[in-house]
Amino acid sequence: MPVLDIKNLILWYRTRKGPVHAVDDISFALEPGQTIALVGESGSGKTSTANAILRLLPKNVLRYEGKVVFDGQDVMEFDTEEFRKVVRWRGISMVFQGAMNSLNPTIRVGGQVAEPLMVHYDVDRDEAADQAIEALGKVGLSADTARRFPFELSGGMKQRVVIAMALILKPKVVILDEPTSALDVMTQTNIINLLKELKNTEHLSYIFITHDLGLASELADLVGIVYAGQLVEVGPAEGVFVKPKHPYTGKLLASVPRLRSEAAPDFIPGAPPDLTDPPPGCRFHLRCPVSFEKCGWSAPEFIEQVRLLQILEETKNTVPAIEAMTAKGAQNLLIKPVANGTVAEFAQRLTSFIAQNQETYRFLKSVESVQAKTKVVEVKLYESTPPPLLGGDWRASCWLLAGAGS
Amino acid sequence: MLGFLILLAVLVPIFAPYNVVQSWNDPGAWTNNPKLAAPEWSEVFTGKHLPRTALMPYNGEPGGFDKVRISFNVSNQVYTTVVLRSSFSFQADAFPSEIKMFMTTVFGNVTGTQIKVFWGRPDGQEIHIFDANPSVRAPYENTFSLTGPTIKDPSYAVYNSIRDWLILKNVTSETEWDALFPRIGGIYQNPPKAQTMLMGKLDHSILDPQTSEVLKGNYSFRIEFNGFTATDDANARAVVYGTVFGLAGTDFEGRDLLVALLWGAPVALAFGIAGALASVLIQTILGAISGWYGGLIDEFVQRTADFYLIIPTLPILILLGILYHLGIVLILIVLVVFGIVGATTKVVRSIVLQVKEEQFIEAARSYGASRGRILFRYILPRVMPYTFALIALTVPAFIFLEASLSFLGLGDPMLPTWGHILGDAYGQSALFASRAFPNGMWWWVFFPAAGIIFTTVAFALLGYAFDKVLNPRLREQ
Repeated sequence: MPVLDIKNLILWYRTRKGPVHAVDDISFALEPGQTIALVGESGSGKTSTANAILRLLPKNVLRYEGKVVFDGQDVMEFDTEEFRKVVRWRGISMVFQGAMNSLNPTIRVGGQVAEPLMVHYDVDRDEAADQAIEALGKVGLSADTARRFPFELSGGMKQRVVIAMALILKPKVVILDEPTSALDVMTQTNIINLLKELKNTEHLSYIFITHDLGLASELADLVGIVYAGQLVEVGPAEGVFVKPKHPYTGKLLASVPRLRSEAAPDFIPGAPPDLTDPPPGCRFHLRCPVSFEKCGWSAPEFIEQVRLLQILEETKNTVPAIEAMTAKGAQNLLIKPVANGTVAEFAQRLTSFIAQNQETYRFLKSVESVQAKTKVVEVKLYESTPPPLLGGDWRASCWLLAGAGS
Repeated sequence: MLGFLILLAVLVPIFAPYNVVQSWNDPGAWTNNPKLAAPEWSEVFTGKHLPRTALMPYNGEPGGFDKVRISFNVSNQVYTTVVLRSSFSFQADAFPSEIKMFMTTVFGNVTGTQIKVFWGRPDGQEIHIFDANPSVRAPYENTFSLTGPTIKDPSYAVYNSIRDWLILKNVTSETEWDALFPRIGGIYQNPPKAQTMLMGKLDHSILDPQTSEVLKGNYSFRIEFNGFTATDDANARAVVYGTVFGLAGTDFEGRDLLVALLWGAPVALAFGIAGALASVLIQTILGAISGWYGGLIDEFVQRTADFYLIIPTLPILILLGILYHLGIVLILIVLVVFGIVGATTKVVRSIVLQVKEEQFIEAARSYGASRGRILFRYILPRVMPYTFALIALTVPAFIFLEASLSFLGLGDPMLPTWGHILGDAYGQSALFASRAFPNGMWWWVFFPAAGIIFTTVAFALLGYAFDKVLNPRLREQ
């Protein structure tokens, strides 16, 4: 039985621009003693996922749904007080991003580590202090560290203190939110080794949030690739890292510089999508090198891409002259040609341009038909839905895997 | 500076116990002190040896009057005569400010009980200064002034005796005296200064206080009391008031200003620190609550603070002072009540708004610390350094406020505070030069003002020191 089973977790924020789909239908399960690495770009929703699990919500929450089954109980049903008592720190604890800022500068380290104890159990000061020293010992810090203030410690020591704080209530699951992001490589390795050791001695399950694929491969049993608030691929680490199924995972792995390789690291063109208005279909299709008919191009996106072609050096002379383009619904658009020749001729030219260029500019593949009307050409695009997350233990959401026809 | 003030505050009750302060408003407690006397050390500026106060206590006390009492019976009439004698050595270069004599008398229900007072001089002269009738019985004192004109008769008797004596000695004539000291309806328009004649060299210069020279040597009192019952008795004491007194001089009631000055320090410190501590701490906590909880609480606290900020506190205190005569504790309470929210609330709120976004607050939330715990254990300790600086800088404001109220006569009437002394001094025109005080009564104003300035500067420096320690941008090195 999984210690943590997350089903269809949704966390949307309300902003002035509209709802931000920070966590949009994320599901994964974590067996006891397992580590899942959530990997993704900045702003992809990794930390929001962690916050959603621990119910650390800001004020502007719009939607917060789904099931978080911890130890057989759906903790989403708990009220705030019950959640605080059962889940927070006793069941699931967290190591925050940037340990240097996670410590109260006015409390001594010992007191800080003992804080969760004193908040949750009615322990007296001396006993709490003893337990804090014990916890500090587990993370490799000496007892006299307890009497120091956070500013007297180095970055690595602070990180160890934060880990000690996360372990003091003996939780089953620890969320590690970029635990090493501000540390130098030597200290990173130390911390990762410490985490590995603790995992075995304390029987912990980790949710390891990082953007560093190298670190993820060190620690993870499972890997979840997060893109635009969704899991696009989740599976065993040895599989995902060696032979990724999703094109995004592939591009991500290719972007890691390698020590003894002539090839320059690859990059992904474009920027992560705006989560207030996520793209339809597969959210990665705009940047995907292998996108095709089914991936979900919409008329406004199509228009934007055509405008790009009109100014690109390679294509600006070959694109048929267009006077105006208007989207008509999500899948249809009307193109008004510049008045030289008939509409039918223009449709001809457009079709042949599409046929010639669709391997280079893959959005052109989404054109289902080109029809000449009286004054305009109507272009119809393929309809699409988001690709399902398919597969057994190793799932990915990509139409390439689902099969073109289904 | 602060250390000195605190030391002072601790030592003052030992030097001048609280009952001295309690008797501050009792004029009877200060009759042995000269009025409006400058500090003793101020004589170094004049270059003259100025007279100290000489006390001649009652018979029976050490150094007191000598006394002889005879009671005898002549044809069924009892006569009682008491003779009291005392002398003092006078070596100063200036005349005393006042000479007074106090008598306790026991006499029967017979009019005619008489007191005769004789004034003996170093040159062998003896002046029969006045005769008088005692008006009150023991234990109350009959007071006779040998110098200043009072409404009671003896003072005029003094002038008349002196005139008769001077005429007898051919120093002056009746016409000259009348020309120098004209009387309208029997009242001296420009009364002579009796001490310059009682104690001056016997020649023509004695008539003018400016030219009269002090005759140094032993002076003596001789008092004869004549009563008519066997139980009649009398006792006397006398005071020759100097023109300088103590370290800080005296005020118009003869009160030792040193007492008030020293007591002003603990009062000002206690008032300032208690007021600043209470109001700044309350404002800090309310500001932190406002910033941390936000929402309606925030709105309520901030709007109340806006409202309190536009309330003029001083006029309200003046109004309350006029209506109710507040004691110092009540003034403090009113000030704190009108200062529970204010500028500090706003400052602290803005600091809290910054602090609450920091990660360790979120970390605390994540391990389940309650909002109250986070407020008191995480947020307030971060705000406290600023609060300490604010407290130190607020203390002078409270001290000034108390001084202003006392100055306006609306402070605690029972306590001798610095503001209170200044108020008295202002009321008695202490800073205006007069014939008697060509430099004004500077000591009356200078010391309390210096006390206020010293204290406020001490706290301001403390505040800046805090600021320097706590504000990294001001840290040197």
